[in-house]
Amino acid sequence: MAKLLIVIPAFNEQENIVRVVDDLITRYPQYDYVVINDGSRDHTAALCRRHGYRMIDLPVNLGLAGAFQTGLRYAAENGYDCALQFDADGQHRPEYIQPMLDKLEEGADIVIGSRFLTVRKPKSLRMLGSYLISWAIRLTTGQAICDPTSGMRMFNRAMLEEFSTNLNYGPEPDTISYLIKNGAVVREVQVEMGERTAGKSYLNLVRSVEYMTKMGLSILLIQWFRKRDTDSPYAERSV
Amino acid sequence: MLGISWQIRLVLVLGSLVTVAFVLRRVRQARMQIEDSIFWLLFAFFMFILSLVPQAAYWVSNVFRFQSPINVVYLAIIFILLVKQFFMSIQLSQMDSKIRALTQKVALNEEKIEREKDDL
Repeated sequence: MAKLLIVIPAFNEQENIVRVVDDLITRYPQYDYVVINDGSRDHTAALCRRHGYRMIDLPVNLGLAGAFQTGLRYAAENGYDCALQFDADGQHRPEYIQPMLDKLEEGADIVIGSRFLTVRKPKSLRMLGSYLISWAIRLTTGQAICDPTSGMRMFNRAMLEEFSTNLNYGPEPDTISYLIKNGAVVREVQVEMGERTAGKSYLNLVRSVEYMTKMGLSILLIQWFRKRDTDSPYAERSV
Repeated sequence: MLGISWQIRLVLVLGSLVTVAFVLRRVRQARMQIEDSIFWLLFAFFMFILSLVPQAAYWVSNVFRFQSPINVVYLAIIFILLVKQFFMSIQLSQMDSKIRALTQKVALNEEKIEREKDDL
């Protein structure tokens, strides 16, 4: 069986982190996990220490991309076969990890836990961004990605090595589109996600506009000019 | 009132194209983060539009009684760069305090390791 690492980036998640990690430990002890505390200013790190969770405690805040990359470096250096990006706020459900693993073992490089593969995407203002990004990816790669903004993504060994060392490999839709264009096999698996039960959402209007500008420009323009460098420092394990 | 000559418009177009080419090359070589390239691409786009549609500068010049429309172009560029400078200044402060925190963390860890070695 493939050795999976669940990477849980956490920034100010004191209300959720214990519930999320305890659920993983008790119901899914077969998977390894690591919490990446991204310089939280609340009790996230203290709670993890008290409960004895496996945690990497970043001394300064790096942002989601930097924190997630830390987890992938950990996975690469400790011989994991694949890694899963998993939210610390309880939106992601661990019962969908197995179906995603199965899909990965069928030969996918990246598996996205998608909310809208068999379920219709609601036509709401909140989903407008998702529609636009789906359209941009379809336009530039020809592939339909139903839920590009889903934060539940699984990466195989080659991908996690590539993500762990390179610049401009944030866990975002523009990286996905770039990799599809470069021949990576990206598949989706239908999942359900909960609403966040505690804590604040990161998104507001200004951030949403900023995010969409970045994703739009990045997917439609910048990705055409990028040069892929797949040389890995973890040579002995890559195929 | 002096207008914006086609020579100046040509310089603006060339300037914006060179900016785009340079920024995309840096991204291609993985020497620049996409986040940081966005500003320069939008800035180049703005200069490009302004040189294609100088009527916009004429309009602003009329409304605010500028001496010449070209001053609108200058002022707009100065303003955008000042705002950018302001945000870069904030970013620099944050990076400075992060480096300080990191340096202290490394030094404190070293000290801890040394002390534990002595205790053994």
